[in-house]
Amino acid sequence: MTIRKIAFNLFAWTIVLMVAFPLFWMLVTSVKPQSELFRRPPTIMPESWTFEHYWRLLSDTGFLRYFTNSVILSSATTLIVVAIATLGAYSLVRYRYRGRETLAFLVLFTYLLPSVVLILPLYLLLVGLGLSNTILSLVIAYTTFALPYALWLLRSFMAGIPEDLESAALVDGASRLGAFWDIILPQLLPGIISTALFTFILSWNEYLYALVLVNSDSARPLTTGVMNMLITSFNIEWSLLMAASVMMSVPLIIAFAFLQSYLTSGFGAGGVKG
Amino acid sequence: MADVIFSDVQKRFGSFVAVQNLNLDIRQGEFVSLLGPSGCGKTTTLRMLAGLEFPTSGEIRIGERVVNDVAPGDRDIAMVFQSYALYPHMSVGQNIAYPLKKRRVPKAERARMVARTAEMLQLTALLDRKPKQLSGGQQQRVALGRALVRDPKVFLLDEPLSNLDAKLRGYMRAELVELHQRLGRTMVYVTHDQLEAMTMSDRIAIMEGGALQQFAPPQEVYRAPANRFVAGFIGTPGMNLIDGALARDGNTWRFEAPALQLEARGLGPDARPGEACLGIRPEALTLGSGALRGVVQLVEQTGHENIVVLRVGEDLRLTGRAPGHTIWKPGETIPFAIDADAAHYFAAGPAGARLNARRSGPHESGDAISITNNMREAHQ
Repeated sequence: MTIRKIAFNLFAWTIVLMVAFPLFWMLVTSVKPQSELFRRPPTIMPESWTFEHYWRLLSDTGFLRYFTNSVILSSATTLIVVAIATLGAYSLVRYRYRGRETLAFLVLFTYLLPSVVLILPLYLLLVGLGLSNTILSLVIAYTTFALPYALWLLRSFMAGIPEDLESAALVDGASRLGAFWDIILPQLLPGIISTALFTFILSWNEYLYALVLVNSDSARPLTTGVMNMLITSFNIEWSLLMAASVMMSVPLIIAFAFLQSYLTSGFGAGGVKG
Repeated sequence: MADVIFSDVQKRFGSFVAVQNLNLDIRQGEFVSLLGPSGCGKTTTLRMLAGLEFPTSGEIRIGERVVNDVAPGDRDIAMVFQSYALYPHMSVGQNIAYPLKKRRVPKAERARMVARTAEMLQLTALLDRKPKQLSGGQQQRVALGRALVRDPKVFLLDEPLSNLDAKLRGYMRAELVELHQRLGRTMVYVTHDQLEAMTMSDRIAIMEGGALQQFAPPQEVYRAPANRFVAGFIGTPGMNLIDGALARDGNTWRFEAPALQLEARGLGPDARPGEACLGIRPEALTLGSGALRGVVQLVEQTGHENIVVLRVGEDLRLTGRAPGHTIWKPGETIPFAIDADAAHYFAAGPAGARLNARRSGPHESGDAISITNNMREAHQ
């Protein structure tokens, strides 16, 4: 029994270390002075700590603008995707109409095509709309690939909410919209939060669309922005790159830390018997 | 006032007919049960009355008003769901207050009404709890409270007791009957449990295959089932139903089956010679004496009485009741008699109509109490 336990623990910790080490190395590299970076043998902990890379990143580069762009881009995408997916999931689950299932499957169809295939028509479309090189163009592009998955995710959450709850609200005097607002949305909250988190992460880390659709610093998000500024054919600014990576991860880590209790709590369980 | 009237109501889901040509006239203050096996259309009927489903054709009235196109919230009804459907994110107090809030009852008034309802249902100590922190019985009372708080014209109850354990169910049955007497409101109660329907209702509407089979007080449903389906559905253990034929000889009728012949008395004008079905309640068999002979197949001891299954002839099985102290063993041949005056006759077919004459003989006007007692014992 105990031997199995020890073996299990060893195994688990090995995996944790394998996952955590690159993150740790990223953090450490970002606070090492330039001179210490390529020393052999490498130092595990930096001999002297420095925040100069962070300072340089914030004061001398376009990092802050990219960061702002990314925040706007990801938040807007998340908001739009969650709003549409919530209403769409409600419709797919609660209303009976012709072609409902077909519709749900067609929505997933976009996933069958690799994004490289979609990207050119999308680019031409956005240029035609006069949206090239804008954050809005990226919001639209991201919505096209985040929405189908969000819809399916929320659909299964929605299907888990007993119809009786809504019926009860209607009998109690609520309108359809009132019942949706008072009863469905609070029950759906864990689903909405996980969908939002998923969409946010997807938009935050997206690279390909951002690379193709946006070619001006005013609209560039972090992913392409950081690559563009720190990786050239002559040189890779490792310290700056690592500092930028740390700062890119921070919003996601914060979001996870705050929302994970929602993700795991199973808020609505136990309300309905039978 | 609040009569509930269904006129020629039909409900289809695609090509499936859930409810066909339903006519029901529920009087104000009446406790009516919709009873039937699952899929018989009883819940659909209730949901149409609630406004959660819309009839394909026909008319539903509550009081003077045709409510076909009236939203559920505007019908002045309250409903208790089988699942209770308590709002999980709201406290007990908020749950009970919700229908008042949606009708814009002022806050102070709302608090007063919630407090009064909570007191009536002994929920005062639980008002701040969330539904999932309550036991099944407590959740049930909260669901009742949410329905009661507003004093609606009609209460709709959809199998509200089916998730409770047997003991609590018996207790809540009595509570509901008392509540109905106290409030004097119309209650429509959906159940598949004949014991609930028999013990609680003023009248029972028995449904099968989307069609109303009989709508009558419990005694009548038991004593004079309108057709073979009702006869077989009501009563535990069930009525013995024997296929055979009616034959006429001058003024007397005989019922003839391979293993059984009987003088058929009390037939009405609809009786015709030919295929028919004989129905005999287990209590209409006298076991231990009589001219007929049967072999004991099975004895179920309930303590107070024994349920005895007899084999008569080759393949006829008859169920009878005998006092608890009788000791017959399987395989034993015993004499028995059939009370010909208590026999029911039905036309051939699964829903064959009753052929007995309408009359108020000793077997059709007995007191309801003895029936419900029988049923209660049988149920335990």
